[in-house]
Amino acid sequence: MTALNRHRALLDFTVAALARRRVKTLALVAVFAAVVFLLASAMFFAASLRREAEATLAGAPDLIVQSLSLGRQTMIGAEAVPQLAAIRGVTGVEGRLWGYFYDRINGANYTVMVPDTAAMMPPPGQVILGEAVPRLRDFKWQGTPLFLSRREGDLVRFDIARTLGTETALLSADLILMNEADFRSFFNVPAGQFTDLAVSVRNPRELSTVVAKATIRLPEARFVTRADIARTYQKLFDWREGVMVALAFVALLAFAIFAADKASGLSAEEAREIGILKAIGWDTRDVIAMKLWEGGLISGGAFLLGTVLAYAHVFWAGAPLFAPLLKGWAVIYPEFRLTPAIDALQLGTLFLLTTLPYAAATVVPVWRSAAADPDAVMR
Amino acid sequence: MITLHGVSKTYNEGRPNEVTALRGIDLAIAPGVTVLMGPSGSGKTTLLSLVGCMARPTTGRITLAGEVISSLPERFLTDLRRRRFGFVFQRFNLIRGLSVLENVVLPAAPLGAPRAEVEARALSRLEALGLAGKARMPVEVLSGGETQRAAIARALVNDAPVLIADEPTANLDTALAHRFLDIVAGLRAEGKTVILTSHDPRIISAAPVTAVVELRDGAILQVRS
Ligand SMILES: Nc1ncnc2c1ncn2[C@@H]1O[C@H](COP(=O)(O)OP(=O)(O)OP(=O)(O)O)[C@@H](O)[C@H]1O
Ligand SMILES: [Mg+2]
Repeated sequence: MTALNRHRALLDFTVAALARRRVKTLALVAVFAAVVFLLASAMFFAASLRREAEATLAGAPDLIVQSLSLGRQTMIGAEAVPQLAAIRGVTGVEGRLWGYFYDRINGANYTVMVPDTAAMMPPPGQVILGEAVPRLRDFKWQGTPLFLSRREGDLVRFDIARTLGTETALLSADLILMNEADFRSFFNVPAGQFTDLAVSVRNPRELSTVVAKATIRLPEARFVTRADIARTYQKLFDWREGVMVALAFVALLAFAIFAADKASGLSAEEAREIGILKAIGWDTRDVIAMKLWEGGLISGGAFLLGTVLAYAHVFWAGAPLFAPLLKGWAVIYPEFRLTPAIDALQLGTLFLLTTLPYAAATVVPVWRSAAADPDAVMR
Repeated sequence: MITLHGVSKTYNEGRPNEVTALRGIDLAIAPGVTVLMGPSGSGKTTLLSLVGCMARPTTGRITLAGEVISSLPERFLTDLRRRRFGFVFQRFNLIRGLSVLENVVLPAAPLGAPRAEVEARALSRLEALGLAGKARMPVEVLSGGETQRAAIARALVNDAPVLIADEPTANLDTALAHRFLDIVAGLRAEGKTVILTSHDPRIISAAPVTAVVELRDGAILQVRS
């Protein structure tokens, strides 16, 4: 009870003391929150990108088989399917149909695909759209059909079965899912031809053996394993995260300078106040507890503010501050919304990295002056 | 009972600006009201700061209720200050930006008494000093006399057994000085110890005063009881 009352009294004093230095306190919180905002934005952004990548990888087949001609990818014939299926350890071979479509109407690029699951398969004459497509085409009302034009004077109508959610917006934003028959007639792909083949194996560790055997049967083909895809993504994210780590470093540096400045000493006014408090019976622990409350209120408040703003910035506003980093990424050509993903460990680290140094910066100089003789305030 | 045996205090010892503020003080301060008087610079404030555990004597011993306090480590001195003493400083030392009430309750904060109880006590002290109406005002708008009364109220809030007051009536008119003396008389009746410094003849000749100690150049000139 006594300890509680004591802390309540110390907190009362802290709040009153902060309130009277309103401008200074707010300036402090603003600077602090800005640093947290930058760091947290970068973290949310990175976590979200990573999540998108993981989602893609999770859906990627063990092995993709492409046909090459003159070193470029061409359609692969269905006759390769039984050849691959005959290899020991292969549990399934699926012909995939997908491609890119340049939209003459607005200059956008879409990824057009025949989905591999029945659940995602639209009925004939209908399509399922990625989240960004209706926005790009400026659909004003529910039920607007999608007209696609392959050349001058050509217009093919599709009705829209539904649009995809934003679970993995980054990778599906520009997607158009079509029925197989529609796909073949729209892109003029004869039966028995596929974009590539998706092979699943029983044991991922047998993959290299499977690839070796498949290479003998299909010497012209190219084999892309899931690990290859993972590596590509990793490179992409490493680069992007590298930029953000640099950014975070700059922000932390600014913060360190700011904290060091604070740690270097108390103003004469603050030192006098601590002398008074000591003279009227506060001991060093009381003064430090009070200062910890002060640091806690400022850093806690600023952390909360910065984090909430960062969340809004990244997941609601689409991270406009990082837009330059995203430019040139073809897959996300249309504007998109990042899927909220929070890495609790990273956020906790950020909390410790910002709050603890600040608390230390607040308390250390107080420690020094709180240990001084209170005699000075007598006269 | 507070006793001083051969107490001296030298500031900046061994340096060119060395000052001996007190020398060879032997004094017993009994419960009741003791007034220290003497010219400016005679060592009154220094004596109060030694008795109030704000500083340590250069030589000599100080005891409080039989316990030697002059050699205790700082940690214990703080504890003593908080439990045994209330202080009115020569320059008041209120904390700017806080209200009168917020200032008055400050000495109670580390003791952990319930807030309502502390505030009630603070308000009754302010009431007794005619300052209840200004409890919510920031201290920097107060007049000199009001500031002094706020400082007195703060010294009284913990009901400490010893009140140490450095020139507590310097800014008060006769009526307010009498209010203060009434409070002091009340403390004396409760068996508490009050140590004041003053140049004020109204105080020195006032009824509740039990002893007058006259200082000159850091030494005791005479003690009248
Ligand atoms: N911290 C210090 N450093 C150096 N000298 C000091 C210090 N404190 C007090 N003195 C000196 O000690 C002497 C006694 O000072 P003190 O404040 O005790 O006098 P006082 O009797 O209270 O005077 P006044 O009536 O003007 O308040 C003075 O000469 C003062 O200059
Ligand atoms: Mg003095």
